[in-house]
Amino acid sequence: MPGRVHVVDDDDSFRTAMERRLRLAGYQVATYPSAQQLLDRLPEESEPGCILLDVQIPGLTGPELQGRLNELGSTLPIVFLTGHVDTSTTVRTIKAGAEDFLTKPVESKQLLGAIERALARHAAVRSERHRIDEMRALVAALTPREHQVFGLVVRGKLNKQIAHELGATERTIKAHRHKVMEKIKVQSLAELVSLAERLGLLAAGK
Amino acid sequence: MIRLISFKGLIAGLLVLLAPTALAQERRPHSILVLDQAETRGPFYDLIFSGLREVVGAHPGPRVTLYGENLDLNRFDGTAYEQSLKRHLHEKYQDKPIGVVLAIGARALECALRWREELWPGIPIVFTMVDEIDFARLGPPPDATGVIVKTPLTDSIKVARAVVPDLDTVVIIGDQWERVAVFRSWVDEIPTATAGLRVVQVIGEKMADIRKLVAELPERSAIIYSSIYSDGEGGYLLPRIAVGLIAEKANRPIVVAAETFLAPGGVGGYVLVPSAIGADAAKIALRIFNGERAETISPVSGGVKPIFNWVQMQRWNVSESGLPEGSEIRFREPTFLERYRWQSMLIVAALLVQAGLILFLLHERRMRRNAEIESQKRMSELAHVNRQATTSELSSSIAHEINQPLGSILTNAETAELILQSEIPDLGEIREILADIKRDDQRAGEVIRRLRGFLKNAPFETKEVDLNQIMNETFRFLSLQATSRNIELYLQTSPAELRIKGDPVQLQQVILNLVVNSMDAMATIPYGRTVIGRTELNGDSTVEISISDSGPGIPPNKLAQVFDPFFTTKDQGMGIGLSIARTIILAHKGRIWAENQNGGGAAFHFTLPLAA
Repeated sequence: MPGRVHVVDDDDSFRTAMERRLRLAGYQVATYPSAQQLLDRLPEESEPGCILLDVQIPGLTGPELQGRLNELGSTLPIVFLTGHVDTSTTVRTIKAGAEDFLTKPVESKQLLGAIERALARHAAVRSERHRIDEMRALVAALTPREHQVFGLVVRGKLNKQIAHELGATERTIKAHRHKVMEKIKVQSLAELVSLAERLGLLAAGK
Repeated sequence: MIRLISFKGLIAGLLVLLAPTALAQERRPHSILVLDQAETRGPFYDLIFSGLREVVGAHPGPRVTLYGENLDLNRFDGTAYEQSLKRHLHEKYQDKPIGVVLAIGARALECALRWREELWPGIPIVFTMVDEIDFARLGPPPDATGVIVKTPLTDSIKVARAVVPDLDTVVIIGDQWERVAVFRSWVDEIPTATAGLRVVQVIGEKMADIRKLVAELPERSAIIYSSIYSDGEGGYLLPRIAVGLIAEKANRPIVVAAETFLAPGGVGGYVLVPSAIGADAAKIALRIFNGERAETISPVSGGVKPIFNWVQMQRWNVSESGLPEGSEIRFREPTFLERYRWQSMLIVAALLVQAGLILFLLHERRMRRNAEIESQKRMSELAHVNRQATTSELSSSIAHEINQPLGSILTNAETAELILQSEIPDLGEIREILADIKRDDQRAGEVIRRLRGFLKNAPFETKEVDLNQIMNETFRFLSLQATSRNIELYLQTSPAELRIKGDPVQLQQVILNLVVNSMDAMATIPYGRTVIGRTELNGDSTVEISISDSGPGIPPNKLAQVFDPFFTTKDQGMGIGLSIARTIILAHKGRIWAENQNGGGAAFHFTLPLAA
């Protein structure tokens, strides 16, 4: 899978070696001698990419950069590289969503495997996010009345109950419901509920 | 005449016998009249008198009075002189009761015997300095006893043979025979006593001639001296002066027969000992005072002893072993040890004490040296343990430092492999890769080398090193650790080289321990963690190094304890890091201390002497 790998490492020699190897494998490569430099010019997330991050770098450390990126809502998967494995750092970074945790020196096969998985994940995350955005747009296109009906339907309310709640006839509710199904482009009530859940509308408690 | 004397003596003896002993003792006055044959000046007779006086004076009982008369019979004789003496004594002693008459010399004895009936009837006579022949001539006198001296010529010949082993000539030197008192008998002895020897008699010659003669005596000869009282030209000489004059010129040893002749130059002989002659006679007189009767005390012989002059023995090369048994040697020059006995002993004692002291100090020094070596060994071992502990604490930094180049090498190698598999390999790139690999390999090697040097359990050894360089290396080693712990590490070294004598590994360890200690101290503060190292010249003989941090500082009451072993504020610390730092600095003759900075944080300082 093509993509751009962002290499953050304070060691010139290591950055150069990585760049060579990754280019040869067909990736585009961007290198940063410090974590701050990556923050200064945040990578474009629209294209497939991932970050290859050293744990021990002067200034902002690897795990600290990870935290900052998470705060910024970055979707770029992070593969950590370290010269020295220590369990607490590993656990902390994995919990914070690291894609992988590799030890230097790392074999290409292992490295490329991790990068491939990271890129695939990024692609998946991106397409998922794309679909959700689409669905949000569909939901946003509903009229306020339709939105009300949608909210109550996905919570399992019957037409009669909804009509009673909204002070309308059962026939009117039926028409709204039909309109909602049509606008959101779903065939069944099950699909509608699933969509609402993915957009996080059920958890809201409305 | 002899019969008459005996008869009178018998009567006197009977009288004494009749009287009860105790009564006689009580009646007998405790006084002795000494009739000395010699003149007053004669040293020989003087010594006899002093020997006598000494014994009498030491006698415990009632005090004994001594009267002395020098009759000077050696120079004066004749009936008229004798009569005048008798008269003089009669008048002088008519009111003085006399207990014992003590005659010194045969002539004095003769006079005493003649005068007794008139002057001291019934008074016993004790004699001394009477030779065998005179004694025999006088017959055992009645109511008289004493000391007989025996000085036969045979004794002198015997001595001459001992002094000159291959003796063939004896030169007998003396005054006219009738004048030489106890030696008078020699003239009769000569034929028998000197059998087998050539005899030269020098009798009554002028002293000047004698002195010429004795200077040219043949080898294998010895002089036998009796006595000389005149120089042969009318001048009077003391016999001991005469022997001295002869000895001055003599080319052969002189055998003498009187103790007083030894000092002026006699080699020795069976000599008359005047003090013994006097003492022996006095003892007999005291026995009479104690109640014994003169008749019951048989005359004793004595007053003669073989005595030799050590100085003359040396001159004539006489060996001590050849001398007669029981010989006494006089004037022996003391050997160095004898002369300086106390000084020598003192010196020997001082030397012994000194030697003992030196040995003790050497022993002490060795013990101290051993203890020093032992303590250095222990310190080195402990320091090694501490380095191992520090190293494991710093293991993540070390692993990172090694794995960094190793990671580059592996990746580069794999890349190169792939490039080579392509149709047209980019050799330029391959070259670059290989150069990178080489460089990274050296980097990794350097890390390992430094680490090994640091972990080596080497004994304490000093060499001249630049402290700035040690600081630089140590700070580089610590930089990763500082990075990963979010600590800013600064180093300000003095522009000049700081040459000191020390063990580089141990000094690195001191710096490492201090910096790690500062890093640990700052674990709790959220930001602004800084460690500053500084080296500077302190005067012109010492270097000062300080490590300061921005941590919480040291509680003032703990400042003095931070260097104590096992003092720690950390949960996992052993408390040996700073203690070892101090031990190492002290071993380098330096000083180490801790203080709190005005602006907060702790500062550790140590000084080291500059290499001369």
